[in-house]
This record gives sequence, structure tokens and C-alpha cells, in this order.
Amino acid sequence: MMPSGKMLPVMLAGGIVTVILGFVLVVLLISWFSNPPFGLGNAPAQPVAFPHTVHVAQNNIQCEFCHRNVTKGEAATVPALETCLFCHKDIDGSTETAKVEIEKVRTAFDTNEPINWERVHRLPDHVRFIHEAHLRYFTDEDILVKYGINGEEITQTPDVAQTCTICHGDVANKTEVQPKTGQSLKMGTCLDCHRANSVPTDCTVCHK
Amino acid sequence: MVTQRIDHKWGMVVDLDRCTGCQACVVACQAENNIPINTKEYFQQRRAYEWIRIERYWEGEFPNVKAKFIPILCQHCENAPCEPVCPVFATYHNDEGLNVQVYNRCVGTRYCSVNCPYTVRFFNYWEPQWPDRLRNQLNPDVTVRSRGIMEKCSFCVQRLRRGEVNVERRGLDTLTGQSIPVAERKLNHRQMKEGNYLPSCVQACPTSALQFADQHDETGPVKSYFDEANGHIETREAGGHVNEEETRVYRLFEEVGTKPNLIYLKKVEPFPVEKA
Amino acid sequence: MKLTRRNFLAWAGIGAVGAVACEGFGIRQGELNIQSPVSLPEDLVRGTDNWYASLCRTCPSCEGIVIRVMEGRAKKIQGNPYFPTNQGKTHARCEAGLQALYHPDRVPSPMRRSGPRGSGQFVPVKWQPNGMDALKEALRTRGSSSVLITEPLRGHMGLLASRFASAIKGEHLGFEAIDNNTLRAAFKNVYQQDSLPDFDFENSKFILSFGADFLSTWVSPTRFNRGYGEFRQGKDRDRGMLYQIDSRFSVTAASADKWLPVRPGWEGHMALSLAQVIVSEGLQASGVDVDALVGGDAGIATLNTFRPEVVAPLAGLTPEMTGGNPVEFLKDLARKFAGSSPSVAIGGGSAGAQTNGLFALEAIYALNYLVGSVGVKGGVKFNPGSPWDDVPASGNVGSLADWTRITEQIRSGQTKMLMLHGADPVHGLPESLQLRDAIAQADDLFVVSFSPFIDDTSALADLILPDRVYLEDWGDDISEPGPGYQVVGLQQPVVNPLPDLDPLSFPDVLLTMAQELGSESQLPWANYKSMLREGSDALFAMNRGSIDAADTEAFWNHLLRRGGWWDETATGATDVQAPTGLLRTIANKASDPEFNGIGVGADSFFLVPFAHNTLLDGYNGHLPWLQSAPDPLSTVTWQTWVELNDNTASRLGVKEGDIVRIESSKDSIRGVVYTTPAAPPDVIGVPFGQGRRHGSDYATDRPGSESSNVMDILETTQVKDTGSLAWAGTRVRVSKTGESVSISKLEGDTRAVEIGHTPAEEIIKTIAPEDHS
Repeated sequence: MMPSGKMLPVMLAGGIVTVILGFVLVVLLISWFSNPPFGLGNAPAQPVAFPHTVHVAQNNIQCEFCHRNVTKGEAATVPALETCLFCHKDIDGSTETAKVEIEKVRTAFDTNEPINWERVHRLPDHVRFIHEAHLRYFTDEDILVKYGINGEEITQTPDVAQTCTICHGDVANKTEVQPKTGQSLKMGTCLDCHRANSVPTDCTVCHK
Repeated sequence: MVTQRIDHKWGMVVDLDRCTGCQACVVACQAENNIPINTKEYFQQRRAYEWIRIERYWEGEFPNVKAKFIPILCQHCENAPCEPVCPVFATYHNDEGLNVQVYNRCVGTRYCSVNCPYTVRFFNYWEPQWPDRLRNQLNPDVTVRSRGIMEKCSFCVQRLRRGEVNVERRGLDTLTGQSIPVAERKLNHRQMKEGNYLPSCVQACPTSALQFADQHDETGPVKSYFDEANGHIETREAGGHVNEEETRVYRLFEEVGTKPNLIYLKKVEPFPVEKA
Repeated sequence: MKLTRRNFLAWAGIGAVGAVACEGFGIRQGELNIQSPVSLPEDLVRGTDNWYASLCRTCPSCEGIVIRVMEGRAKKIQGNPYFPTNQGKTHARCEAGLQALYHPDRVPSPMRRSGPRGSGQFVPVKWQPNGMDALKEALRTRGSSSVLITEPLRGHMGLLASRFASAIKGEHLGFEAIDNNTLRAAFKNVYQQDSLPDFDFENSKFILSFGADFLSTWVSPTRFNRGYGEFRQGKDRDRGMLYQIDSRFSVTAASADKWLPVRPGWEGHMALSLAQVIVSEGLQASGVDVDALVGGDAGIATLNTFRPEVVAPLAGLTPEMTGGNPVEFLKDLARKFAGSSPSVAIGGGSAGAQTNGLFALEAIYALNYLVGSVGVKGGVKFNPGSPWDDVPASGNVGSLADWTRITEQIRSGQTKMLMLHGADPVHGLPESLQLRDAIAQADDLFVVSFSPFIDDTSALADLILPDRVYLEDWGDDISEPGPGYQVVGLQQPVVNPLPDLDPLSFPDVLLTMAQELGSESQLPWANYKSMLREGSDALFAMNRGSIDAADTEAFWNHLLRRGGWWDETATGATDVQAPTGLLRTIANKASDPEFNGIGVGADSFFLVPFAHNTLLDGYNGHLPWLQSAPDPLSTVTWQTWVELNDNTASRLGVKEGDIVRIESSKDSIRGVVYTTPAAPPDVIGVPFGQGRRHGSDYATDRPGSESSNVMDILETTQVKDTGSLAWAGTRVRVSKTGESVSISKLEGDTRAVEIGHTPAEEIIKTIAPEDHS
């Protein structure tokens, strides 16, 4: 049945409203679910297939050897290629894949081209997060009871590597870097943890 | 240590007898806080962003004429009129005496700016723009406010936070790098000055007309003035009279009852212009 | 739904809009990338700031700064708390140096002129071979008839420039639009000093300032402001008293306890009349040999011709200005000045920019002998020279006489090459000198500009070889005025030039040229840094001063870290004696100010130009922060305003925002009227600094009515005996154009005036809810 001429404007208006509302809903849903824990693109393809398993789990390299500022400053710091070359000047890799991937790093170093990794943990521009402060808190032996990111009680003072796992999960045993499974990293999570540990929750502590 | 973090109560004192209106604070603020370039049009439309501005008042006529300068910035009121009218709690008072604007919360109703008696809140009518190369100067510690957001002086809270990380939390003297005993890990005036943690305007002010410190800091330059000003409020609330001839301390629009965390010291005038 | 042509188009449209919208909500390519750079210097940590010490170059008085650098980008400039002259304080100008560094209008690479000279058409060329070869060729063929024009240069750069000029047998001259030559001559004649002295305002009880706008632009405003703060409200001292005798209501006059408007050009007479009162009433400080100072009875007789009774009417003092009898006021002022020891008299600005400027300044500074303030705490403190024998501590600055000569040489073809660095003489000299035309029309002239920005002079260049901006380059400087002892500041590069820019350090270019032209004997250094390093090693060998280091390497590192070296024991002269009969000599020089061109009449005004609070003489005109910083008094930004007294304005029938034409016998400019209650009725004030015709849009996009260069109308009158431009010696007529613009100022449309004051509790009472019980 064709609508009468009278109904047309009403239908048109209704249609437009529906489209707009639907669009807003889709945007909201995408922005909500694209963040952890649901994670669209949780483990993005990286330009070099870097296995933490080999470096950390098998060869016991400390987190802060490569992420050299994690105990010193705001950002953990993705290592420079020269850091990779400390070892990979001589280490060629045992498998074919490893050889190919290591060669990528060497080529990049020789041609003076930086490597652009895909970011896994994204922090909005208006948030200040200082890795050093968090590590210092969790590794402080004077604080007897601490609470982890999901409110779990921590009575045994962790070392640096264990502290990293509180938020980042067991990166050491992952071939591809991805956020801790099921871990939300929204503002509410930050606040819950700050409250549990009774540390400041003033907006200006994190927001800039 | 974070859990034992000592609470601050920040305060600023503006000595009008020292102020020469030189604009060093104005430019220092713009450099620190990613304030858009105030073009000629911004001034003509009366929408220039100056978190701190120097107001100039004329007195008298030639030849017996005077000009008085007064730097006006957010007064960080204890009873801030801007706070209760914000529908989204984007502006609030924190426990350190700062009136905080949370930019990513603001929806731009502009109620706060309407309610502010000091006209120190600025609304972004435009998307802020810089030529590409100038963007390199932007301070990564301060959000660039987009169109539709209210902004204002923050007492350079980003610098205070940096200072705290270095002194209170990290426990190192900003200058020597030596460890400070836990009991003394408080951001004091000396450390702020030497570590560049004072608000940008205060750090720049060539005549030291602007002073900033913890109101409770015995070694700081503001405590005595705040004690005196708070005494005035108590006297007045008790129905008493404060002889304004005898004191240089006052707060802007004291009678409105906003209790600013900013105090002014009157200019001394040996030869006042006779007022009509 | 049936797919018709119409609704297909509709759906396609919605789809397209949706796609665009979704794209907008998406994340830009590369935004989520995190980079592994090839190498990461230890000091480059994301989120961590480093502060490097260096020197400020936005005004001539070298100040120590620290620069905040994050991730290879300079973020903030602040005062260096250790540096003796500014002690951690800055002026607005220092902060804005960042905008010069990241300015959108920097000259990206060497450029060669492609159109006719002055057309502003340039094509980019390479440094090697085109740029350097062209420079080398020009120096080879024209070097001996060349002039190198720079900003006033001190320290090793001064040494380098003068040696380079002598190596190529050319001439080197410093340029300042508002030069200090008259002031220097006065210090030389009165105190026998070559360096500018320091004034110890911090410990002074009484400042008597004649035309010196020391709180805004005069000589070393940051240092003086710091002293002024203490002078007013310093701990453990009484509040000092400041009298400003000034023909215009300046920023300093606004902060003064008393401003005395003086008829332009009579400051010197007034100073002598104060001297006369002090001498005749015997108010001089104890130990001052008045007889020797005045020059015996003959001197007293000469001095007596400057009695307040004579001078007060000449200087235009009225009972309204002085709140009673002007003669009594002057006498009272002399008593106060002599009675509040230590007191200090200073003079400069418009007082020294009249035909009789040298006389005026000498008379003013001689007052300090009478009150015993020479070389003492709270008075005039002298600065020693340079710690190195051959390195100059003062810049060599040309006066109007020199520039007239050089213009003539260009016109006659005698000067065949101009080299410019940090100077814009076409903008900064009176238009009636016609330097612009001389350069533009010269047939056989080669102009090289080393400026990183296009300005009015480099727009006329044949070759532009952009220098690095000071935050990217090495340098050093000797503070002038220093704090009374030897201070050397070191400037270091804190960031590298951005990848899209290709500047080359000016001193390095000069050194390369010297080598290629075979002048290694005079300039043996491979680059400027090694020259500075040699200077540092020489300082180390002196074994004194603020840096305690074991070897030259440690010394150099310490120098870099602290931003300078100083020796508090190496003070300037403390026992300066007045030449015999000084006051008499000065009094005999006295002359009335002369105004060429338009004479005194009811329809003409004294034109008192003044240095702009932030742009100064226009050197900083391209920096948007400084353009947008309101003038303290008028609160006007971006535009050239004309200060007119309220009553004068209504007499002329103009109001704020109207455009008026200001006409001298030379030319006319247009300006925006700003009416003020403070301007003397017969004086109009116009700031220097605007009205650039070439270069950055920030400086040039408002030509004519809103941005004019007051230099365009100045008479080329010279100060007697110094040859400097008497920039306050022009008289003008003002006429209405009938046009009007919106004035861009901070102040509201209603003038901000201070109103009466009701005590807070009165108001609280009136607004408190009534008690009905």
C-alpha cells in the first residue's frame, strides 16, 4: 500500500530520526566493544613478528632491559633498533621464520628506517599514566597489602615482571602481544583500583 | 609514598604594588597551556583567550592621572559559583584548593562562565588552529581543547603534578637528585621554584608580584597573607569591622562570599588621586 | 521497497554520507603506531622533560634562559635562576622565542632573487654549490667595498664579525633602530665608562627617572623589573619612591608614585634646576666636593640660570601638574631626592632623543654625583669590560650619521655589497633617508641576507642564506648591562632544525668563507663552536669565577650546564670621580630642543614615538604571541594606535577606532585613535614596531590604516654631538580621515575606570536577608 500524501512528511521525518538514532547507536556500540575486554583487533598484525616467548620465557630477559624507562619514567618505551642489535648483531635465529624476521630488523637498522609497530594498549591523549609510579607502588615492600587491577589481594610483594602482569597479563608466554584476556582498561577500572589501594582519585591526577 | 601523600592547599598572592603590567605572565601562560593564537579578530569579537590578563584602570584626568594594573585569573574560589551549575560535573573543587576543569567531560553549556563573577572562563567558539610548524611547541602535558569546550586557568596543575611525582613520590630533590627522607617529602616552595614547578605566570613574573605556595607552608611566601585574609572573613562573619586602611590584604569581590584561594595586596599610594 | 531510480539515489546518498561519517569517526592511518626509532639517545625519554641552559636573543640585553625540551622539541622558555642579570625572571619577549623557532614563515632554504629587486620573488637554491659559491664570488669581487650590518654584537660573535670585515677589507656596523649611542656618550662623558652601567634599584630608596621606560623597554627591563619589585616591597626595607619625569604617560609612569609631564626636550634643564637647588641649599651628600663638581663661582653662576623659577615655565609645568606652585614642587623634589639616600637618577628614552639629548642625559646622570650615588650600593654600579682581551663587551652600533653616509655610498655606487644579519635597517630607519630606494635602484649592488625571516631589508636581497635560530645554534654573550661584575653567557643548540628546514649557522658560514678566501690567519677556527671552546679554555686558564673545574673539559660541561660563567669579584670601577667642573661643562652645552619641519602651532603636536612593550622597534613583529600581548596601557593588540588625550580627540572630532592621518613635513601615516585621559594634550604617542611591508603575515597583513611604521614620518634630525636619530624631535599635524575600524584591544568598550570603594561588610549587610523576627 502506498502511503497517502499526507503521511509522507511524517514518514520521512520518522525515517530520518530512525537513521540518525541507529547511526548513533552503531557508533556507541562500536566504540564500546572495540575496547578491551571485547577487543576488536586485540592482537593487531605487527610489522615484525616479535615473540615475547623466546625473549622472556626462554631467555629470561628482564622487561626493563628493553622497555628501559618503565622503572624511570612515564612511558615504558619501545626499544630502539640499536637495542635489538645489541644481541642480534650476532644472533641470527634458529628457525627460518626467525631468520627472516631478524633480518627485517637488521635491514631497518642499516637503512635507518624506524619500525612502526601497531599499538596494543591505547591511552587517550588526555590521560597521564606514569608506569614508574605504578611499578614503584607495587614493588614497595613497606606496603603489606596491595590490590590488583581486579581487586585481587596481593600480599606477596611482586617484582617488576610480576607487576607488569597485573595489568598486561602474561606477555612472556605470548607469541603475539595482546591485552590481558578479558581485562577492561576503562576509566572505571583505574578508579576501582585506585580506590581499593586508597591512592588519590582526584581527576587531575590522571586527566590533563 | 602515595598513600601517605600530604595534602596541599594551594594559594596565590598578587602584590599590586610590585605589578608593572609588563605582560610577562600573559605570554608565559599562553606558552605553557596551549592557548590558541589570539588573532586580531578574537580581540575584536571580545573572545580572546587570556587565562591570566592584566586589567588596567584609569584614575583621574590629565595631569593628575594614574593607571592601575591588576592581573586577573581564575580565583579558584572555595565557594565557586561555577561549580554547582555544571550539569555534567566537568568543573569541581578538589581537596588541594584548585578549581578544576575536566575538559573531556565538558559539554559546553557555558553556564559556568555565565555564573563566574570574575569573567575568567573562556569558551572555545572555534577549533583551535596553529600553523603546522608551530604545533611542535604544544605542551604534551596539557590537552588541546577542541571547539565547544570551556577552559580556564588551572594553576598549572600539570606542573604541580610533575613536581609531586619528583618530590613526594619519587622522593628525590629536584635539583640535587638526592633522596629526601619520607617525612620531608612535600612539595615546598623552594623545590617548586627551582624545579620549574611553579605556575608558569609566577615563574616568569619579573617583579615577583605573583607568589604561589601551599597556604600551610611555613617557609612559603603566602601563609601569613592567607592567615590575615581568613582572619578578615572570620571578623566579618562575626559582624565585626575590618579597617581597610590598615591592611593591604583583600580578596576580589570579597562581599560575594566566593572565598578565593587568590589574594591581592593593595597598591600603596603616597599621592592618591582624589576620587570624584 | 521497490528500487526506483529516485530511491536508489537517496540510498546511495545516505550510504555515501554514512561512509564519510564513519571515516570521520575512524582513527587516522598511523595514529596508533608506536615507533622503534633506529637509535634513542639516553636523554630522549617520552614524557620526560629536559631543561637546557642557553641565552635569550629577543632583546639586546642578554638574559639567561632555560629551555624545556621534550622528545626533541622545545616546549617552553623560562629564566635561568642562576644567571646573574635576570635571576630566573623573564620578560614576555623571552618566552616568545619559541615561536621564532617554529615559525611557519621561516626561510626554509637558501634563496636567490628571481624577479626585479624588491619584488619579493625568490627561487630556492642549494647551499652547495649555488649559495656558497655565489657568496664567495661576491666577497671576492666586492668584499673590499662591502658593509656587514648586524644586530649589536658582543662576545665572540662581535670578534668574529669585526675580524671578518677587516679580513675582506669591508666595514662592520651594528644596527639598532633605537640606538643607545647618546646614552653611551653620556656615560663616557660623565662617568668615563665604556660599558652601560647597572642601576641598583633593589637597594635604592628614591628613583628619579627622566623619560627612561625602564619597566617596559629601556635597556634591560627584566633586570630592572626585578630590582623594582624589591624596591617596592622587598623584605627588610622601606618602600622606595619613584618619580617619573616624562613627556608621555609611559608604562613606568603608570607605576610611578608621581608622573610629571614635561614639555618634550626640557628634561636636561629640569635636571640642572634640581642640581641648582641641591647646590644652593647645600643638600649634597657628605663628602661631595661641590665646588669642584660645579666648577667654582663661574659654575655656580651658570647653574643659577637654571633656577626652578626659570626652568618651570620652560618645561611647561603648571600648578595642576604639580599640585601647587611648580617652583616649590621642583625644590621639594630636589630635597626629597637628595634627602633619601641612596637615590638614583636615570634618563633615557625620549629624553635623549632630542637635538639636545646628549646635554639632557649628561645633566641627568651628573645628578648622581651630587647625591653620592656613583659606584655605591643603591646607586649607579659600573660594569667591567670583557674577561677576554680581544672580545668586545659592547656592540659597535651605527648612528643616523653613519646610516646617512652608507645610504649615500650605496647611491653613489661606492658600496657594492651589503650583508645583513639580525638587522632590518629599511624598516628601522626614517623613510626620508630613502635607504629602501637607494638599495632598490642601485645598479651594481649585491645584497646578501642571513636572516631566517623575510623582513623589509631582506626582501631587497639578491641572495638569502638563512641562519639558524638561536635555539639551534651556538653562541656566547657578555651581558650589557651586567650586574656590576663580569658575566659571560653561553648559548647552546637545544634542538636540531626541523627536517623541512635547511638553515646554516651564520658564524660558520663566515668562518668557511674566511678560509676559502685565504684569511685563516685572522680566523683560524674550523667552526664557531671551536672558537667558543677556545674562549672557554681561556676562561678556565684565568682560574677564577663561578666555575670550579679540574680541566678544560669539565669547565666546558659546567659552562653548558649553568648557561654561563661569572666572577663576582671582577667588579667594575668603584672610585669614579667626576671631571672637574662637570656641571658647568654640561650647563654650557645646554640648548633648547629644536624641531625641524612643522613648527609649533595650535594645530600641531609633539610626536613622541615609543618602543612597543613587546615588539620593541619591530624586531619581534613576526611573533604572534608578542603581537597579541596587549599593550599594558592601551591594551591594544596587532594594530598601530595613536594615543590622543580625551579632550584633544573631542576637539579634533575623532573617537576611538577612527583612523587619523599623522603628517610631518616628510610624509604621513595612518593610525587608529586610542583616546586616553593620560596623554598630555599637545603630545601624541605612536608605538614603533608595526608597519612591516614584507615577510610574515603576522607582521604584515594589516597595512596602512591598522599597522603603520612611525619611522615613515620621522624627521632625520640628529642628536647634537652623537649623530643619533632624534626620534622624539618631530612635530606633526593630525587630521581626520573619516574612516573607522574596530580596534582590537583587551579592554571593554566602556573604559575601565576605578570607582569608589565600599567596605565589604557594608555590602554584606545590605545583601544579607532581613531579619523579620
